[in-house]
Amino acid sequence: MAAKAQTRFSTDQNKRPTKSSKPGLSSKARKPGSIKTAAKPTQQKAKPTTTLTKKKPPHLRYTEKELKVPQLNGIRPTGVQKAAKAKKGKHFVDDKDQMNAIMAMVMAEKEGNIESRMMRARQLEEIREAKRVEAEKRVEGKKAGLEERKQDIKDSKRKRRGQTNGDARAEEVVDVEKSKKPKKRVSFG
Amino acid sequence: MRPLTDTETKTLFEKLANYTGRSLNNLLTDTLPNPSSKQPDRYVFRIQNSRVYYVREALANLATSVARDNLLSLGTCLGKFTKTGKFRLHITALDVIAPHARYKVWVKPNGEMPFLYGGHVVKAHVGRWSEDCPEHQGVIVMSMNDTPLGFGVTARSTAEARRLDPTGIVTFRQADAGEYLREEDTLFTT
Repeated sequence: MAAKAQTRFSTDQNKRPTKSSKPGLSSKARKPGSIKTAAKPTQQKAKPTTTLTKKKPPHLRYTEKELKVPQLNGIRPTGVQKAAKAKKGKHFVDDKDQMNAIMAMVMAEKEGNIESRMMRARQLEEIREAKRVEAEKRVEGKKAGLEERKQDIKDSKRKRRGQTNGDARAEEVVDVEKSKKPKKRVSFG
Repeated sequence: MRPLTDTETKTLFEKLANYTGRSLNNLLTDTLPNPSSKQPDRYVFRIQNSRVYYVREALANLATSVARDNLLSLGTCLGKFTKTGKFRLHITALDVIAPHARYKVWVKPNGEMPFLYGGHVVKAHVGRWSEDCPEHQGVIVMSMNDTPLGFGVTARSTAEARRLDPTGIVTFRQADAGEYLREEDTLFTT
């Protein structure tokens, strides 16, 4: 009997794995469905929100000041340009006032630029004009000097000519005659 | 499509201010309420694929429903940002900047075609010019009947240009209306 019972037990044991294996197969087939039902992101997300909204008991409510924690050194090092809490990434300008402010700044800059360029151009123009006038004067002066010299030369030539033509010749003749008379001669013989 | 950042806005305004006077502020003012929309609308700047568009805000808001990759263009294209962060004005911006121009050069009818074919403006072709214009200043080139033809940069100040010989260049061309034909296939592509 005992052996029979043993055999029965063993058969039961044998049966069990077969039984358990069957649902295993069936579970394989069901797996994707079961995962979908298990992973509910809304449920998981809901947890922290409920805890946040729940009001803390009065003995747990405190502010940072009450903790008496030493102040954090909030000095920004010189190399760091941005504050730690500053917005990351691009800073968009879609506000009319901001846009107007930028435009006013740019306009003032440009206006000043143009004004200074015009001033410089005007000054350069004045300098150029002054130089031109000076150069003209110099050229004129040179021309006048040349003309004067020419005239002088012409006049002197005329004078010389006039002298040689009129009195100068007569004088010369007289001189020659005068110089001829007192000529001393020495004779040997 | 997104609004411009502050540096981009500054670069854009600096470029526009090369050609325009103080009235550039009018670009930012609200439009008058019209029968179709009772509320006054305003114009905004939007950047899409490095191109900057001047567009009505209502239209810009509608355009958010189009995917970035699918959105080719909207409003008036003013120009594009280069990879180095500079801004290049396109000829399409002419209609926006011409009414607010600070300095203008009017070309005679015999100078219109040479300019529209991409040539610089020579002194012989100039009919009139704005007085007191410094060197290397942005100017709008107009025909004698006040039609804007393009824009450029002065080669000489007005005082110096007066002493220039007739074949001397007065204005270097930057963009002209002829580009609508010459650059037809690249003007609106990305």
